[in-house]
Amino acid sequence: MPSGSALLEVRDVVAGYGRGPAILTGAGITVEEGRTHCIIGPNGAGKSTLLKVVCGLLPARAGEVVFDGEPITGLRPDQILRRGICLVPQERALFPDMSVRENLRMGGYIIADKADLERRIDEVLEAFPVLRERGGQRAKSLSGGEQQMLTMGRTLVLRPRIVMLDEPSLGLAPRVVNQIFGIIRLLKDKGITVIIVEQNAVVGLSNADLGCVLDLGRTLFEGPADGILADPRIRELYLGKRAGAA
Amino acid sequence: MNQRQNFDSVLAEREAYNAALAGARRRGGSRPALLAVLVVLALFPLVQLTGANWNYPLHLMLYSFMYIAMTSGWNILGGFAGYISIGHNVFFCIGGYVSGMLLASYGISSFLTAPLAGAVATAVGFCVGFITLRVRGPAFIISSIALLMVARILFDNWDFVGGSNGVSLPRMELPVQYVKIPYYYAMLVIAVASLVASYAIRHSKFGLGLRAISQDEIKAESAGIDTRFYKILAFAISAFFVGMAGAIWGEYMTYIRPNIFLIILVAANMVLMCILGGKGTVAGPVVGTVLLVAFNEFFVSQFGASQINILGTGIVMILALMFFPNGIVGTLRRMGKLPRILDWD
Amino acid sequence: MTDILQILLIGAVLGGVYALMASGLTLIFGVMKIINLAHPIFIIIGAYVSYWLFTLVGLDPILSMPIAMIVLFCLGIVVYKLIFEREAASARYSEMTVLLTFAVALSFDGLLGVLFGNTQRITSPSYAVEAILLGDLFLPKGQFYAGLVSIALIVALAAFLKFTRFGYAIRATTQNRDAAQLLGVNVGLVSTVTFGIGIALAGASGALISFIFSFFPARHWEWIALLMSLIVLGGMGRLMGAVVGAFLLAIVSAFVGSYFGSTWSMMTFYLALFLILLVRPQGLFGEKME
Repeated sequence: MPSGSALLEVRDVVAGYGRGPAILTGAGITVEEGRTHCIIGPNGAGKSTLLKVVCGLLPARAGEVVFDGEPITGLRPDQILRRGICLVPQERALFPDMSVRENLRMGGYIIADKADLERRIDEVLEAFPVLRERGGQRAKSLSGGEQQMLTMGRTLVLRPRIVMLDEPSLGLAPRVVNQIFGIIRLLKDKGITVIIVEQNAVVGLSNADLGCVLDLGRTLFEGPADGILADPRIRELYLGKRAGAA
Repeated sequence: MNQRQNFDSVLAEREAYNAALAGARRRGGSRPALLAVLVVLALFPLVQLTGANWNYPLHLMLYSFMYIAMTSGWNILGGFAGYISIGHNVFFCIGGYVSGMLLASYGISSFLTAPLAGAVATAVGFCVGFITLRVRGPAFIISSIALLMVARILFDNWDFVGGSNGVSLPRMELPVQYVKIPYYYAMLVIAVASLVASYAIRHSKFGLGLRAISQDEIKAESAGIDTRFYKILAFAISAFFVGMAGAIWGEYMTYIRPNIFLIILVAANMVLMCILGGKGTVAGPVVGTVLLVAFNEFFVSQFGASQINILGTGIVMILALMFFPNGIVGTLRRMGKLPRILDWD
Repeated sequence: MTDILQILLIGAVLGGVYALMASGLTLIFGVMKIINLAHPIFIIIGAYVSYWLFTLVGLDPILSMPIAMIVLFCLGIVVYKLIFEREAASARYSEMTVLLTFAVALSFDGLLGVLFGNTQRITSPSYAVEAILLGDLFLPKGQFYAGLVSIALIVALAAFLKFTRFGYAIRATTQNRDAAQLLGVNVGLVSTVTFGIGIALAGASGALISFIFSFFPARHWEWIALLMSLIVLGGMGRLMGAVVGAFLLAIVSAFVGSYFGSTWSMMTFYLALFLILLVRPQGLFGEKME
C-alpha cells in the first residue's frame, strides 16, 4: 500500500459556468496517492463542478490545482488526460453507436503504441467476460449495469493515475451498485487513485478511505471516511439521522 | 457553528439581490412621442401638394412600411416563438396573387380585398404550420426553404395565374403626383396594425407562452402550454400581415409575377431586418427595416448592380449575427440605454 | 421494361452524385450540429474552379477534382475559423448558426455573381456528350463517370471514418462530444478539420457536376432544398442515411420526371421532405431528436 502523499491538491478554487454566478466559492481537496476519496454534499454544492475544474473542462476563476507538484490549472482536458487524470462523467459516457470493442479502443485514444492498446483491451475483456460476450454489439444496446461496466473498462484501458467518477451508482439497482464498487476496488488494487462524487453519502463513504464534505461551493470538512460517517454533526446535516442503520 | 454562518450570509445576499430586481422600474414606451411620429407620417404625403416631386421618398416610405408590416409579422413566429422561417415570402406571394387576381378579374381594389388576401394566407399558414411545426428549430428552417421552392415551382407553372409571366394589373386612375399616396396610407395602416398586434401579443398570456416555447419548448410543454396550438397560431397570425402587405404591393407594382414575390432576397430581408433591429422585440422590426432600407439605398446609389446587393446583405447579416445577435433594440436595452420611443416590450 | 430500367439506371447514377453532395453536409452536421445551408454554394464554387481550369488550361474536370477539393478544404477552414468557431461555445447555437450559414450562402452567392456574372456555365469534356450502350440501355458517359467517382469517394470517406485514428475521433465527437473530449480528443481541432473535409467534399461534387448540370450562382438555392430533403429523409447526421436517401430520392424523382416532366422531378424532393416530416420526422434511420 503506497504511503499517503498528496498526489493532487486543489486549493481555494472559485468557478462558475459562463458568466453566471460562482458555484464554487473556495473549494479544495487533498488527494492522497493510492487511496479512494469520496466527495459528498447536497445538490448544487458544486461537487461535479469541482471535478470539471480538475480535469480542465471548466476554467477556474481563482485558486489552483496542483498535480504531482506541477500546477495544471488552465490546461486543456486532453493535456490533463495525458498527465494521468481522467473523469468519468455522470451519464452518457459511452459512444452509443460504437461497438463495445470500439468504445474500449476509444478509451485508449491517447495511447500511441497500437500493440499495447490491443493488449490492454484484451486484458479488460478478460476481466469482464460479459463485455467480451457483447464485443461486437453497439453500446446503446447494453443494459445499464453493462454500460457502466464498459465505462469502467474503458477507464482501465487508459490506466490513469487518478480516476474521478461522477455519481457512478446513479440509477442502478443495489446489486449492480455493489458490482460497481467492486470494480472501483479493482481500480484501487491496480494502484489507481480514485475520487468519487456520490449523492448517496453512506454508500460512498463506506467504500472510501478518505472523505470530503462540500457545501455552498466550499469545502467544509476533510478526513478519514469512517470518521465522517461517525461524526454526529455531519450525520445530522448530510447523512440523515438513521445513517448508522444503513 | 460556521455552517450556519455560511447559510445566513448566503440568504442575506439572495434577499438583497431580489430586492434590487424588484426595485428596478421600467418607464416603458412614450405614447406622446409615438403619437407625434404617427401624425408626422400621416401628414407627410401632403408635401406632394407643394408641387415639388416627392414621389421617390414616398415610394421609399411605403416600401419601408411594407417591410415593417412583414417583418413585424415574421417576428411573431421567428422572434417571439423562436421558429425561424426563411421562406415566409410565400405568404407575401399568396396575398399578392389573391388580391391581384380579384383585381384583374373583377376590378376590386386590393384595398378592399387585402384582409381577404391576408385571411387566405392565414389559412394556408395554418395548414402548412400543422405539418412543418412538428419538428424543432433546424428542421423547421429547412422546411421553410422547401416551402419557398415548392411555391416557386407551383406558381411558375400555374397557367391560370399566368405562370412565370404573371398577370398584368390595371393602374389606378390618378395623376402622377398623387398616385402613390393611397398605397402609402394603405401600407401605413397595415404596418401600424401589425405593430399593434405584435404589442398586444407581447403583453398577453399568448405571448408569454410563445416566449416560453422559444426558451425551452420541452419545459413549456410540461408546464401545460399547448405548444402545438400556440406555434400554429403564431405561424398563422404572422402569415396574415405578410399576406396583406403582399396584396397591396401587387397592385402597387401593377403586376403579379413569381419573381417579384418569391425571390430569396425578400425572405432574407425579412429575417435580416428583424435580427438587425432586435428579434423578439416590438420595436425591433421598425429599427431594422429603416436601417436596412437606408443601407440598401446607399448601396444601390453607389454601386447600382443587384449582385453586389446580395453580397452586401449577406455580409451585413453575418456581422449582425456575430456581433449583435440581440439586435439594436436588444443591445441598447442590455446597456440600459434604450430610448423610450423604442421601449415597447 | 427497358424504359423502367433506363430510368432506374440514370436515377441510380445521379443518386451517387447526390449522395456525395450530401455526405459533406452530413459530416458537418454530425460533428458540429450545424445545418450548413451554405453547402451548395461551396459546391458551385467547386464547379467554378473546375470550369475555369477547363476553360483556361483545358484540364479535365475529373482530374481537377483534387484541386477543387484542396481549394475548398482551405476555404472551409478559413470560413470556419473566421465565422463559426466562436459560435461553438454560445448557447443559442443551433438557430444562430443556421442563420449564419444562410448569410454565408448569400454572401458567396453575391460574390460569385459579381465576379462571374449570372451566365449559365457548364464544362464540356468530350465524354459529357457520349454515351455507353448496354444492350438497349444507354448511359450518358458524363453521368456514369461522375456517379462512379462519387461512390468511390464515399467509400473512401467511410473507410477513413471507420479505420483511421482521426476517423475514430470524428465518429466519437459526433456521437458524444463531451465524452470524446474527456478521452483526449481535441474536439476543437476535430471540428475545424471536419468542416474543411466537408467543404472539400462539396468541392469534389462541384467538380463532378460541372459537366452534368449547368450552373450559375443562384442555382444553389435549388440544391439547398434538395440536399436538405435527402438529409432529413435519411435521418440527420447519419452518413448511411444520407446515401440511402440520395439513391432513393434520385430514382423516384427520375421516374417522376419522366412521367410528369422535369419541373416536377424537383418537386419530388420537396414533397418527400414534407411527407417525412409528417410521418416520421426523425428520418428513416434517425433517432428522435430531443
